[in-house]
Amino acid sequence: MDQLLEGFRIALDMIISGDPVVFSIAFRTLMISVTATVIAALIFIPVGCLIHFNRFRGKRFLVSIIQTLFSVPTVLVGMLVFLLISRAGPLGSLGMLFSPGAIVLGEVLLIAPIIAGLTISALSGMGRDISDTALSLGAGQLQMILKVLSESRYMVLTAVLMGFGRAVSEIGVAIIVGGNISGYTRTLTTAIALGVGKGETAASIALGMILLALAMIVSVTVNTLQHSEKR
Amino acid sequence: MIRYIFSGILIFALLSTACGGQSEPSAEPAMEQTTEIAEDAGNESVPPRASASRLRVATTTSLYDTGLWSYLEPMFEEEYGVELDVLYAGTGKALEWGRRGDVDVITVHSRSREEQFVQEGYGLERVTFAYNYFLIVGSPDDPAGLEGMTPEDAFTTLMQNGEEIFVSRGDDSGTHGKEKAIWTVAGYDYEDVRTSGDWYVEGGSGMGPTLVMADEMSAYTLSDMGTFIAYRSDLDLEPVVDQGDILLNVYSVLEVTSSRNPEMAANLREFLTSETVQELIGNYGVDEYGIQLFTPCAGLDM
Amino acid sequence: MILALENISQRKNGQQILSDVNLSVSRGEFFVLMGPTGCGKTTLLRIAGLLDKPFSGRVKYQSEPIPHRGKERLQARRRMVTVFQRPVLFRGSVFSNVEWGLRIRGIPEDEINRKVSQVLEMVDLVEYGDRDSCTLSGGELQRVALARALVIEPSILILDEPTTSLDPNLRFNLLRRLKDLHSQTGITFTMATHDFTDALSLGTAGAVMRNGRIEQMGTIDEIFYRPSTPFMASFVGMKNVFPAEFNADGAIVEELIIRHTSNKRGHGFLAIPPEAIVVSREATVTSERNHFTGIITSVERTGSIFSISVDCGNLLIISSVTRSALSDLDLTEGQDVYISFKASAVHVF
Repeated sequence: MDQLLEGFRIALDMIISGDPVVFSIAFRTLMISVTATVIAALIFIPVGCLIHFNRFRGKRFLVSIIQTLFSVPTVLVGMLVFLLISRAGPLGSLGMLFSPGAIVLGEVLLIAPIIAGLTISALSGMGRDISDTALSLGAGQLQMILKVLSESRYMVLTAVLMGFGRAVSEIGVAIIVGGNISGYTRTLTTAIALGVGKGETAASIALGMILLALAMIVSVTVNTLQHSEKR
Repeated sequence: MIRYIFSGILIFALLSTACGGQSEPSAEPAMEQTTEIAEDAGNESVPPRASASRLRVATTTSLYDTGLWSYLEPMFEEEYGVELDVLYAGTGKALEWGRRGDVDVITVHSRSREEQFVQEGYGLERVTFAYNYFLIVGSPDDPAGLEGMTPEDAFTTLMQNGEEIFVSRGDDSGTHGKEKAIWTVAGYDYEDVRTSGDWYVEGGSGMGPTLVMADEMSAYTLSDMGTFIAYRSDLDLEPVVDQGDILLNVYSVLEVTSSRNPEMAANLREFLTSETVQELIGNYGVDEYGIQLFTPCAGLDM
Repeated sequence: MILALENISQRKNGQQILSDVNLSVSRGEFFVLMGPTGCGKTTLLRIAGLLDKPFSGRVKYQSEPIPHRGKERLQARRRMVTVFQRPVLFRGSVFSNVEWGLRIRGIPEDEINRKVSQVLEMVDLVEYGDRDSCTLSGGELQRVALARALVIEPSILILDEPTTSLDPNLRFNLLRRLKDLHSQTGITFTMATHDFTDALSLGTAGAVMRNGRIEQMGTIDEIFYRPSTPFMASFVGMKNVFPAEFNADGAIVEELIIRHTSNKRGHGFLAIPPEAIVVSREATVTSERNHFTGIITSVERTGSIFSISVDCGNLLIISSVTRSALSDLDLTEGQDVYISFKASAVHVF
């Protein structure tokens, strides 16, 4: 218990004094997760729109597959990306393994189903009223889709935030394809895993508090957005 | 049309992140090494490099957990102007990375597997650079009474008692390989041991975490000397068996044949076996722990 | 013909919703599409408004067939606009709702401002420009939806049961407003309704649907006063509708011969409007050509009018009389009476 309290005390000191190591890891984690989230959003919000606004065979099946993949184990994605970008793999020539880019790629794949799936839910939640109204007022397909997206923007933003929350707190991808290289691919989660194994309680607690704070910011924002959605 | 935009975004994303080898302060979450890290953080001004000027070394966890690599890394980087990425893993995984061409250099400790690796053409040459010994460690009261036994007898006793817990690395590492070798010499089939009961625990982690686990469970485990000494102050574990030829633990460096940066890989081998660094390895940790963690042995056949 | 639907069929989930519908709307008309709930009005309007594609058949705008996809379809769609049964407004202000249709057409800013103010004035919402769309009442919402549609100056305005969600007072106001807007703008209105009063007070032409088919199409007078089928006759509230055999003497209905002014022969139907039937206690000599005797079987009050059922042999004929006529004649159940009506009052179809 004393060790734990002492750990908390040192951890708080580290955060308050702006410990360069702790903050460089936090900053790196943020950069990687934000990059992954932005890329995933740029690709998979449109993908969600394409799926929602098109009628095709097996659409329902596809949507349920996407929803199943919401909780795909992170290590599975890590393994997949490892096999893909390892030198011996099909994308090996890119030399991406054990780099921040590799983590970004893995996290993009990891949160793609969340962003696409929740975008589809957000758009479905709008019903056909908005799209019909937009079309009848003379909108082209793209104008209509943009209008429905804009009408469901809080829910879509929630999808993006949920994706970010998962990206920032995952460890499977970061450890397998990032390699937890000090000063290069070490993220909050991999640093905590290593730190706990080494008995470095205080640093791990400090990193954990930052991670928790990030998760809480995401969750509070999501709640606020959903509240304003209901109006 | 939209499809082309998507693939454009994807390619842009891959390119921008693949080249994003931004140099950030080396970040080691080690509370007792804060000063060391602060110096390390001073390297921040190193300009961003393309991945070609990075060198990847896969190291066994024992060399990582002792902090030896964190100690040597900045020296090498400064001397050769390269970003050194140190990846820690068990010997098995490190060699597998080498086979796949994902790392340039490997530092591990399992002679037979290293020789096989070289023989198969994955590595250039096995060059030894340091050694120490493995230890069987356990709680100070030594409930199984292993003190003074040979490693083989100690294992036999544990197997026959089937009561005192033994934590195995269980991760295909060099230490794990050594443990299996001891079981074989003691006359057991490792599969039988592994499945013989609850007393035999497979941790599946690196050396440091395995020691922490053994400490929590008041169990015995096999550890390399370096990691044990580096962790000793936080543990309530003592060496119970430290004599026996079989406990010899030799670390060697292997350049990976398929490395895309073979010159720099050779530089790292030369660096580790150079007189200056050999001396540094020999002295590493002496001030802090009062005992030598590694004995330099550059190029010796052992 | 500004809009024509030709041989339109529609299926949804394996069910036939529309079968071989033909419909045409002339420029400047106020066309009402009538029919009971679930007869396919909304489905038809969605096809007319180019929101859905029919299973088969085609839509013509100004005699030009509209393709199922592409620029031409969008251009045609931009000439018409639909106001839905329960309109939804976009997030944001009333102004931003009304201007949207102009924005997506790339209309210049100053023109947008001018047109929006103009149309807000038309629907009496001048002060409402800055109001948040989610703070509006039902009637206001309806008017914003109307303004949003009118601002793009469509050739055709399609209204799907605009009055159903409104209370009687608002409904009356909206109907009057629609009538004014129609005469002011010259836009062709096409409105679905299941309410006769809407149709009668607004419509210039219309059609009645039944089970996914057009039962009758024509002017409002034709539909209400000259129904062409027994369904239509009962749909527009006609009583005394009988199947009849027509020959040179007149129409034979259950052994009675009813005289009429049509020259129809063979099998058909006739209808006698209840208000055209005179009931009396004594046989009177009148110019009416149809005279029958019968027994009153029931006297029912329907509003301010009384409905009297008279059994004339095998035929039950319903007549409507005023309260004063009822008490003057002292009509009660079981009484023998004479009924008479003009041959010209008999509607033959």
